[in-house]
Amino acid sequence: MRSKKHVTPLYVIFCIALLVLSTIVSFMIFGKRQAPNPLLRGLDRKSFIVVVGKSDQSAFWQSVASGAHAAAVEYNLDMNFVAPVNEENYEEQNTMIRAAIMGQARAIIVSAIDYNANAEAVNEAVAAGIPVIVIDSDVNSEGVACRIMTNNYLAGRMAGEQALRNNEGELTVGIINYDINSANGQARERGFCDVVNESGRVADIYTVNCLSTEESAYDETTSLLIQHPEINTLAALNELMSLGSGYAVRDMGLADSVDIYAFDSNVVSVGMLESGEIEGLVVQNPYAMGYLGVETAYRLINGLPIQSDHIDTTTTYVSASNMYDTDIQRMIFRFDS
Amino acid sequence: MSDHQNKVGFSLSKTMTIVVVIMVFTAVIIALVVFNAVFRDSLEQAAMTSAGQSVDQVAVTINNYTDDMIEIMDELYTNSIEDPSTLEDLFNNVIDIRNDVVMIATYDAHNNNTGIWSNYPTKDMIYTNLSLYPVSAEFNNGISISAPHVVTVLDNYYPWVVTITKSAEETFSNAAKIAMDVRFSAIARYIDEVGIGQHGYCFIMDSAGNIIYHPQQQLIYAGLKYENTDGLLALTDGSHMIDGVIYTVKTLENSNWKIIGVTYLDDTVNDRVRAMALASGLIFFIVVVMTFLSGSLFSYMFTKPATKLAHAMKDFEDNASGFVFEPIEGSVEVNNLSDSFEHLVIRIQQLMEEVKEEETTLRKTELKALQAQINPHFLYNTLDSISWMCEEGKTDDAILMVNALAKLFRISISRGKEIIPIEKEVQHAECYLQIQKFRYTNQFDYKFKVEESCKDYLCNKITLQPLIENALYHGLNMIDEGYIEIRIFEDGEDVIMEVEDNGSGMTEEQVAELFVNDGTDQHGIGVKNVNDRIKIYFGDKYGISVRSELDEGTCVTIRIPKITEERKYEK
Repeated sequence: MRSKKHVTPLYVIFCIALLVLSTIVSFMIFGKRQAPNPLLRGLDRKSFIVVVGKSDQSAFWQSVASGAHAAAVEYNLDMNFVAPVNEENYEEQNTMIRAAIMGQARAIIVSAIDYNANAEAVNEAVAAGIPVIVIDSDVNSEGVACRIMTNNYLAGRMAGEQALRNNEGELTVGIINYDINSANGQARERGFCDVVNESGRVADIYTVNCLSTEESAYDETTSLLIQHPEINTLAALNELMSLGSGYAVRDMGLADSVDIYAFDSNVVSVGMLESGEIEGLVVQNPYAMGYLGVETAYRLINGLPIQSDHIDTTTTYVSASNMYDTDIQRMIFRFDS
Repeated sequence: MSDHQNKVGFSLSKTMTIVVVIMVFTAVIIALVVFNAVFRDSLEQAAMTSAGQSVDQVAVTINNYTDDMIEIMDELYTNSIEDPSTLEDLFNNVIDIRNDVVMIATYDAHNNNTGIWSNYPTKDMIYTNLSLYPVSAEFNNGISISAPHVVTVLDNYYPWVVTITKSAEETFSNAAKIAMDVRFSAIARYIDEVGIGQHGYCFIMDSAGNIIYHPQQQLIYAGLKYENTDGLLALTDGSHMIDGVIYTVKTLENSNWKIIGVTYLDDTVNDRVRAMALASGLIFFIVVVMTFLSGSLFSYMFTKPATKLAHAMKDFEDNASGFVFEPIEGSVEVNNLSDSFEHLVIRIQQLMEEVKEEETTLRKTELKALQAQINPHFLYNTLDSISWMCEEGKTDDAILMVNALAKLFRISISRGKEIIPIEKEVQHAECYLQIQKFRYTNQFDYKFKVEESCKDYLCNKITLQPLIENALYHGLNMIDEGYIEIRIFEDGEDVIMEVEDNGSGMTEEQVAELFVNDGTDQHGIGVKNVNDRIKIYFGDKYGISVRSELDEGTCVTIRIPKITEERKYEK
């Protein structure tokens, strides 16, 4: 008994010291609530992810970036949005993907300029154990964890259906497509052509493939319309094609006789919708692509299940008659300008 | 006590560990339950209060902003009435100064546009003008405020605005209406930055349930998020808790807008409870670890050494004489125990050694005493004397001799007893002296002075005889008138027996020799044997002392305790 008497005080001091220490620790935990607590957040360092877009200039890609940014903030990720100088440069995209691998990104989100030429870099990332998520434009790789994009074939069909609805007569179609290696452009073209061919009201379809620049689209449209003045319907398959062909039609004074069905929107193409050069816009949901891409990356990094390995984002048809509806306004005019 | 515990099967350190762990565990559970019960409620209240304050703040800010705009509009109107000629300058000034005023337009009574003032170019052709018609809320001073919309009259520029319109009762200039488009982004940016709790936010909705502005409206339009505006319309102003989400509603004073604050209770309360649980778990873990550590320390310091000590004690019990104790290291208490035990072991081993030695000595002395009983030399001489007496015809002397001899042997055997009454011992000595007196033909004289009271006390047998023998051989041999006096008397609690002679005396060396020589010479057992037996039987304080002076004589004193027949075994 005497012996216990001797050991106990030491032990009590130990316990008291421990209690004091743990109280301080818990006060520290409770005290600093303003900043997210690293103890509770788990990882002090945010996971680093890279989004490789096709451009950082167009309204479409700015919207993608803004959606990606919103999700990165919500899921506490360190997101880096990169894009080549122009929408043709798949080599620069490959360099960016490889840089992301070197930088030990936890996930890479890619929109491939070239369906085949971007595949190798994507496969390298997959081989390095980095999950790859494709948004907007697909790439020829088996390793892609999730694809988030517009169903471009259906989007093409939507444009074709509107063209048939607005013109009761015979259609002569000119298709202003961009990079022939872009899967999206090809799918849209196929959708558009399928619909008009099914109707049996189509006289001819002329397709031109431009560089993915406004100038190229302008030049190609002008020469196509000079060569085939009978064309009364144009399909411009992306934002830059819309602008180029819209300006061409405006400058040639053909706004009344040629209807353009265009993809994506920006302030200029919306203006052309009002002034009549463009008949209708098929508007995708770029914000959702960016947001869902980053959200999926978060789920993959943390081993959470993803709803599907293929997510279709919505498309909306906008014409002069509905462009100022409240919902459409909110969709095509960005708030943060 | 601890022995008993050992039998139950729990060591002290294990018991301590278990008790502490149970105590801490209980404390942690109670703390968590109390925290959950008591603090959750107050935290909920605090979260609701804080959400209410945030939303009030938003409402005040937006009200101030709209008030500000309405004030500008009133200013424009008043000035235009007073001095219509300055109207255009006034409009241009407002547009230049107020960056958030995108455009000012005037309309006539038929809603025809009569002028647009803006820093941005207008479209060549205006197809639609959203700034003209929409009215969301009207005030009694003729001012109305629209829902947010884009400006549709500017070239390639579609900013989001709210339109503040003043309908004039009396016409000023040529206008019946002034419409001012104010950027909505100022309000939007403010709303974006309002945070309530960790993931809380607020948004604006009108009285019809349409979302005016939502920080995540892109998500809502993209179909990725849903806000139950119909359900929220039913709520009155104030904080409401629905399924763990706190909705705070505040209707603005000067419009039909409602500010809705959304806070997730999970953010605030659950995080705290989780943090509490985490901290408690941490405390519990640390305490358990420390308890085990201190338990093993305790065990190392006390329990193990104690067990070792117990084993050592058992070993000692099994083999007391051959046991070698190795000191056990541990706490101070254990060290003390170990030291004490070591002393104990050494003392017991010493005592055992002593007992063994004494036993051996006793055996030897007793054997010698036994041998003395039938000293063949003495017997031979005595019998020789008797035989000679018979030859001489001294029949009476012979009879005396034979009787003395017989008595001598009877007493010295004493049925094997070591302790006999002093009376018998005196008789024994008398017989011996009688025999010797005959043999030495009255060369010496002797006298017994025995106190009657001493006769019943006990003493070792054959104690006086060796001393008398010593006196005869060493003291009286050379002297003609030898005299031996035997005195027995009481001295307090003791009995003293003295044998005094008037012989040649002894040197100190000779005296010392008496106690060393174990009497193996021909003269039977020696003084040492008697001394040893007395000490073994009665203790060290008893025994023989010798006082001797050369040419004067020797006095040998025996001191023994008073022991009666009844008390013989008490010692």
